[in-house]
Amino acid sequence: MKTRLTFFLIFLISAHVFAQDITVSGTIVDAGDNIPIPGVNVIVSETTRGVSSDFDGNYSILVSKGEVLEFSALGYKTVKIEVQDQTTINVSLEEDVATLEEVVLVGYGTQRKADLTGSIVTIKPEQIEKTPAANPMQSLQGKVAGVQVVSSGSPGDSPTVRLRGLGSYGANTTPLFVVDGMFYNNIDFLDSKDIESLTVLKDASSSAIYGVRAANGVVIIKTKSGRTEKKPVIEYNGYTGVQIAHNIVKLANAEQFTTMAYESGSQTDINNILNAMQRFGRSEMNPNVPAVNTDWYDEILRPGFMQSHSVGATGGSENASYALGINYFEQQGILDMKNEYERFNIRSKVDIRLTKNLKMGVNSVFSNATKYNAENAAWFQAYFAVPIMPVIDELNTEALPVRYSNAQILGYRGAQNPFPVMNYSDNQLKIRKLLSSVYFELDFIPEKLNFKTTYNHDFSALDERFVRLPYTLGNNVQQISSIQQNQKFFSNQIWDNVLTYTDSFGDHNLTVMAGTSYRDEANHETNVIGNNISGIDLETSWYLNFAEESSIRLAGAGDIGGRLYGISYFSRAAYNYADKYLFYATIRADGSSKFTLDPWGYFPSIGAGWVISKENFMDDVDAINFLKLRASWGKLGNDNVAASAGSNTIDVISIPLGDVQTPGIISSSTFTNNTWEVIEENNFGVNLEMFDNRFSLEADYYIRDTKNAIIPVFVPILNRNVDRNAAVIRNQGLEIGLNWNNTVNENFSYSVGTNLTTLKNTTRSVDDPRGYIDAGSAEFLQRSIVGQPIKAFFGYETVGVYQNAAEIAADPIAVANNLVPGDLKFKDLNNDGIIDASDRKVLGSYIPKFMYGGNIGINYKAFDFALSFYGQTGNKILNRKRGEIIFTNDTNMDADLAINRWHGEGTSNSYPSSAGLRKGWNQRLSNFWVEDGGFFRIQNIQLGYTLKDQKVLGDKFPEMRFTLTADRPLTFFNYNGFNPEVPDGVDRQTYPIPGVYTFGVNIKL
Amino acid sequence: MKNLKYYMHIGVYSLIVMFSFLACHDKLDLREGQLNTGDYDFTQTENMIQPLVGAYQQFYTRGWEELLLLKVRGDDVNAGGLGDQQPFADTDMFIYDDNYWMYNALWNGHYQDIIGVNNAASLIENFKEFATGSDVAKADQYIAETKVLRGWFHLNLSRTFGDIFIINTTIPDDDIANGVATKDGVMQYISDLMDEAIPMLPNVRPNERIDVEGGVTRYTALAIKAMANLELKNYQGVADATGAIIASGKFGLYPDFYQAFKKPGELSNENLLEMQYSDYGNSTGDTFYHLYAPFGSQNWTPARENAESGWGFFEPSMKFIKFMLDRGETIRLETSVLFTDRGIAELQEDSNYSNLPAFVNNTTRDGDRINDYSRALFASGKHYLPSIQLTESRNEYGAGKNNICIRYAEILLMHAEALTRGANSSAMTADQAVNEVRQRAGLLPISGVTADQVMDEKFAEFAMEWGIRYWDMIRLQKYDELSYDGRTFTADKALLPYPQAQQDALPLPSGNDE
Repeated sequence: MKTRLTFFLIFLISAHVFAQDITVSGTIVDAGDNIPIPGVNVIVSETTRGVSSDFDGNYSILVSKGEVLEFSALGYKTVKIEVQDQTTINVSLEEDVATLEEVVLVGYGTQRKADLTGSIVTIKPEQIEKTPAANPMQSLQGKVAGVQVVSSGSPGDSPTVRLRGLGSYGANTTPLFVVDGMFYNNIDFLDSKDIESLTVLKDASSSAIYGVRAANGVVIIKTKSGRTEKKPVIEYNGYTGVQIAHNIVKLANAEQFTTMAYESGSQTDINNILNAMQRFGRSEMNPNVPAVNTDWYDEILRPGFMQSHSVGATGGSENASYALGINYFEQQGILDMKNEYERFNIRSKVDIRLTKNLKMGVNSVFSNATKYNAENAAWFQAYFAVPIMPVIDELNTEALPVRYSNAQILGYRGAQNPFPVMNYSDNQLKIRKLLSSVYFELDFIPEKLNFKTTYNHDFSALDERFVRLPYTLGNNVQQISSIQQNQKFFSNQIWDNVLTYTDSFGDHNLTVMAGTSYRDEANHETNVIGNNISGIDLETSWYLNFAEESSIRLAGAGDIGGRLYGISYFSRAAYNYADKYLFYATIRADGSSKFTLDPWGYFPSIGAGWVISKENFMDDVDAINFLKLRASWGKLGNDNVAASAGSNTIDVISIPLGDVQTPGIISSSTFTNNTWEVIEENNFGVNLEMFDNRFSLEADYYIRDTKNAIIPVFVPILNRNVDRNAAVIRNQGLEIGLNWNNTVNENFSYSVGTNLTTLKNTTRSVDDPRGYIDAGSAEFLQRSIVGQPIKAFFGYETVGVYQNAAEIAADPIAVANNLVPGDLKFKDLNNDGIIDASDRKVLGSYIPKFMYGGNIGINYKAFDFALSFYGQTGNKILNRKRGEIIFTNDTNMDADLAINRWHGEGTSNSYPSSAGLRKGWNQRLSNFWVEDGGFFRIQNIQLGYTLKDQKVLGDKFPEMRFTLTADRPLTFFNYNGFNPEVPDGVDRQTYPIPGVYTFGVNIKL
Repeated sequence: MKNLKYYMHIGVYSLIVMFSFLACHDKLDLREGQLNTGDYDFTQTENMIQPLVGAYQQFYTRGWEELLLLKVRGDDVNAGGLGDQQPFADTDMFIYDDNYWMYNALWNGHYQDIIGVNNAASLIENFKEFATGSDVAKADQYIAETKVLRGWFHLNLSRTFGDIFIINTTIPDDDIANGVATKDGVMQYISDLMDEAIPMLPNVRPNERIDVEGGVTRYTALAIKAMANLELKNYQGVADATGAIIASGKFGLYPDFYQAFKKPGELSNENLLEMQYSDYGNSTGDTFYHLYAPFGSQNWTPARENAESGWGFFEPSMKFIKFMLDRGETIRLETSVLFTDRGIAELQEDSNYSNLPAFVNNTTRDGDRINDYSRALFASGKHYLPSIQLTESRNEYGAGKNNICIRYAEILLMHAEALTRGANSSAMTADQAVNEVRQRAGLLPISGVTADQVMDEKFAEFAMEWGIRYWDMIRLQKYDELSYDGRTFTADKALLPYPQAQQDALPLPSGNDE
C-alpha cells in the first residue's frame, strides 16, 4: 500500500514541479533513539505535493517560501514547519503514545490493550535488563502482582515461578513459557537481552487458549525482531560484577559447641571433645575447649564473578526484516568449588514478504551452555561439621592427596568435612539447545482473513558428566575414581495452524480466530557408570573408555525414554461495540496421551468489559482518562503432571543366588489412572488512568479453583505415594498495581509504583473420608486439611520450656512423659490431660499470604536512578537443617540454637536444653522447628548515565549508557537460616542467594 | 471470480491441514517408555522364575535400621552408647517414642515387602494360566515360596508391634478393612499359611536347590511354623514341626562356629533361611550388599588395608559376656563379641574376671585389631566379616556377607525347649538336641536338661541374632532378665508403639501406646 502511495505522490510531484522555487532537504530521525526513519510522508500543507523519506531518512522537496511542510509517519506525532529561507530542515519525530494503540500478545494473536477483558501484564525489556541474572524470570521478582518468584542462587538454575498461588501439588508448578510460539517449561536458554516483550497471562480467561498447558499461568515471550524499512542498529550491552553471600548464618563456634556437648549428657560426645583436645590441643582462652575453631561457612564461601556481553543488530529493508545477535554470559557460584555457568547464544530471526500475500519467516536460537553444578551436600555438611576440627589436619597422614581432616577420627559417625566432596567432585553439564521455527503466513483477504502455519522444533541435548576423583581420608575412608555419563535428549515439536478473520461493520468490531495444534514431546536418556579410571588426573581422560572394563555396571546403566503426544483445536472471538462494550470468548479442545482414561478435555472461557470512560456521561470528567471494568471466567486443564501409567508396570532387578547374579522382575501394585487437573477461575478487574495518564491503577480480584487436583496420596502398607486426582484447591486474592509518573520538565521526570498481592490458599476438599491428606515425611509431616492451606506444616504447639522441678511435678503431662527441666512444653489442645497425636494443629504454610513490591525511578538530565524493593509475609519455613538432629544428633548447629538453649531456670522459654534436643519428645514436629519466613528486601538499585548526541572531532559519537547496579543488596528477616527464599518451605540444603554488584555499558551505533 | 479463487484456496489448504492433522489422532493411545504388567508375555513360562527372584530381592533388601531395631532390646545386646541415634538408645532402655523414624521404617519396610512378595505371587499366577505339565506344579511351588516369605515378615511385625494387619493381597483395602488381628491370631495365621505352603515346596535343603540356590524349601516353612507355634506356646506344634526337620536328616551344624557366620559358612547345611549378598568376587562392577556398618566397631586397624570400620551402634552386653565367661564358653564368645582394650579393662574391673582367656583380646584371629572408640566397649562378632575375607578393593564393612535368618541350631533348641515343656517327639530327645549344639561349641554334654538350661543354651548360641533372646524372655515373661544394667522392664514395654505416621494413616487401635 505504502509503495503505491509513494508512486502516486512522486507522480503528483513531477506534475507540479515547475511551480516551486526552493529545494529543501534534510534527515528525519526518531527523537527517542536518533535512528533515521524511512518512509515518512513529507507533504506541503493544503496541497497534494509531497515525498517520502528514503531508507536513510533523507528527503528532498521543492517548496515555495512561506509554505508549511508536514512530516507525518505512523506512530509518530506530526510535525509542521514553515519554510522561510532554510534549505536544510532536519526533523526529529516523537513517538505518539496516545495514537499508538498498545497491542499485547495473547495466545495465537494480538489484542489492543484497551480491549482486554482479562488480567494481562506486559513487562518492558528495560525492566528485565535491570537485573543481572542468567534467567529473565528472575527480573520479575516483586514486579508483577500475583507472580511469586523464588530465586535460585546456584549458577544457571532457574528460579521457581508461581502464578496466583499454588493450585497443583505436582513438582512442576512453573508457568508455561511460550517463546515465539514454542512451549517451554524452562527458559534458561534465553538471554534477557534477546527479549522484545514479556507478557504474563494471569487469569484463566486469558490463558484458556492454551488449554492443558495453561494451568500454572502463561508467560508469552517475543524475542527481538527487526522492522521493515529501518536502518540497521548495532547495539552492545554488557556488564561485569561480583556476587557476595549475605546474611550468612552464624554457626556455633568451638566453645559453644563444646558447651552443648558437655551439657548433652552423652559421654560419647564428651569423649569426642576430649579426643579433639588431645589431637589439636586446648584453647588458650578456655582450656576446656579444643584449640581449633573452624567457621565452615566462612571456609566454603567465595565471592562469585559474573559477566555478560551481547551484540545485536536489527533492521529491515522494504520486504525483509531481521534481528541477529550473539551473547555471552558467565557466572561463578559462591561455593568454593568448580561451580560455574557459562552460556553462549546465537540467534537470528528473519521475516520476508515473498509475494503480496505471502510472508515467510525463520527464527532460530542456538544456546550452548556449560554448567558445573555445586555439590549441594557441602551446604549441609558445612552446617553440621563440628567446629573443633580444622579443614586440613596435618596429623591425618593417611588422607591423600590433601590431608583433609576427618571427624571419624574424633569419634563421629561421618567424615563431616565438606571439602572432599567439593574438591574431589566435578559435575559438568553441557546444555545445548536449539530452538528452530518456520512459518508461512498467507493473506487470503488482505487485512481481513489471514492464515498462518508454524512449525517449531525445540531440540535439547544434555550431556552430563559426574566425575569422582580418588582420595583417602584416613580411618579407611576411600573413594575410588568413577565417572557417570548421562546423555539426555529432548525433542519437542509443535505444529500450529491458525486462521484469523478481522472485520468492522460500523461500530461493530470483530476478530475471530480458529486453529489446530499438534504436539510431540520425546525424551530419551541413557546413563552409564564406570570406576577406576586410568589417568584420572587428566581431564582429557575423563571418558568411560578409560574405566576398568569390568566396572561398567549393569545396575548403574540405564536407558529410559518416553514420548507424549497432544492434539488441540482452539478458537477465539473478540467483539466490541464502539470500543465501549467488550466481549471475548475462547474454547480449546485438548487431547493428551498422558491420560489413559479419556485423553480429551474441553476448556472454554468468556470475558466482558465496559469502558466507562468512553460513555458520554464521562466526557465532563476530565481527571479520568480511562476507566474500564472487566470480568472473566475460564477453565483450564493441567497436564503438567506425571503421566498416568494406566496399569501396573514391571521393573527388572538382579540378586545373587549362590553367588551368581540372577535376573528377576518386580511389579508395582499401584498405578495412576489420572485425568486432567481442571482449573476454574473468576476474575474481576478494573483499569483506571487519571490526570493525563500520569496515574494508573490496575486491580484484580480472583477466585481460582483447581479441581481434580493431582496430589501424591500416601498409601499405607504399600508405603508408596501415588498421584491421584484427589483434591480441590482454591487460591484467591487481590492484586493491585499502582503507578504514578510525571515529567516535570525536559530535565526531570520521576515515577513511583507499587504492587500488592494477597493470597489465600485453601484445601476445599480431599478424596479421603478423614478430611486430610498427608505429605512431607513421617517426621516432618505436612498435611492438607479441608479449610487449611495445602501441605501445611502439622505438629504440636509449644508454649514454653519447663523451667524447674516444681513445674514438672505440678504438671501431670510432664510426669507421665518423664520430662525434666529444659524440655519443651506442648499445648494440650483438647484439654484431655495428655499430649498425643490429637494435640497437633496446623503450624503454618509455606505459601506467603501477602507479597508487596515497589519501585522508584528518577531521571535527571543524563542521570537516571531506579530502586525496587520486594517483601513477603505470612509464610513459614521448616528449619530442616536443625531438624536433622533427629537423625544425627552429635553434629554442630547454628549459634542461635547453641546460645539460646535452655541451660538453667530462666535461660530460655523457647529452646530446649542440649540434652533435650536429643530427646524424642522435643524432636516432634512443633513450632520450635517451624519459623516465620517473611522478609523484606531491597531488590535492585541502579544508577545510570547516558551520553547522547555527542560529537568527537566532528563525528557523531555513538550513544552510550553506563550503569551501576546492586541487585539484592539488603534483605531483612528473622528466620534462622541463610536465606528465606525456600521454594517448598523445607530448608535442608538451599543454595544461598547472593547479592550482585555490577557495572554495565550499553553502546548503540 | 477472484473471491471464488480465494475461497477455493482456503478450501484446499484447509483440507490438506485437516487430513494431515487428523492422522495424528492415533498417537493419543501410545504409551512410550513403560512396560505394563498386562503387556508382559506370560506365555513364556520359562520366565516364571523371574518374579520369584523378584520376591527374594524384596526379602533381601532390608534397611539397616530394621535389623537393629528387631535385635536391640534383648539382654544380650545394647545400643552403642548415646551420641548419634539417641532414641535408638532410648529404645534399648525401653523408653519408646512413636515418632521415632526407625519404628516407622521397620513397619513400612516390612509391609511394603509383603506387598512386593504378594505381587510376585500374582505375576506367577499369570504365568500359571499358560503353564502346562510340570510347570503348573512349579508355579504352585513358587507361589508357596512367596507365602513363606510373607509369613516371615508377619512374624517379625507381630513380635514387634503385637496386633497387626494380615496382608494377603496386592491391593490391601479389604485386608485393612478387616482390622488388625491379635498377636495370637497372626501367629495362627502364619502357622496355617505354612501348612498351605508345605505340600507345594521342594523336599530339599535350601543349598540343594538348583533353580534358586539358598531359596525357601519345605523345611524353611516348617521352621517358621515352629517359631509361630512357639509364640503361641503350642509346644506340641513346635515339637512336631521341628521334629519333621530333624527327622529329615538333611541338616547338620556347620562344624566351625566362627566361620559359620563368615563367608565359608554361607549356604551351609545348617542354614534354613538366608539372605544372600555378594559382589561376585569382582573388585568392580555390580554389588548387592546389606549395610552392616551399624554393627561394626567405629575404629579398627584392619588386616587388609582400606577396609572400612563401622558406626558402633550395636554393643554386646556386659551381662552376656560375663554369662559366657561364667559358662566357660570359648568359641561362641569369641565368635559373638569383638573386644576393645577399653572393654576388656572395664570387664577386669570386676575382680571375678581379672583373669581372662587368651581369645579375649582386641585382635581377632583374622588379624583385625579393634581400637577403642567412645560409643561402645564391644562390637558384634556375628555381623563381622574379617577384612581378609573381603573381595579385593571392596571396602565396605562386611561387604558381601550373607545374613542367616534361621539356623538348624535354633531348630534343635526349639525342639529341646518344646520337649522340656511337655511336648512329645520321636525325632530326638531334648538331651540329644542340646548336646548336639553344645558339642560344636566345645562344651561337655549334659543330661536331663531342664527348660531353663535350654534357655541358657539359646542365650549362648543366638546372642545378637534376630532378637531371639528378647522374644523368648517376653514369651516366658522373664522380665527380671530384661531389667539389667540400670534398665527396668515392665510388661507394658513388650511391644513397640505403632508409629505415629501409621496411626495417622491407618485404622489402628489406640491401646498399643506404651
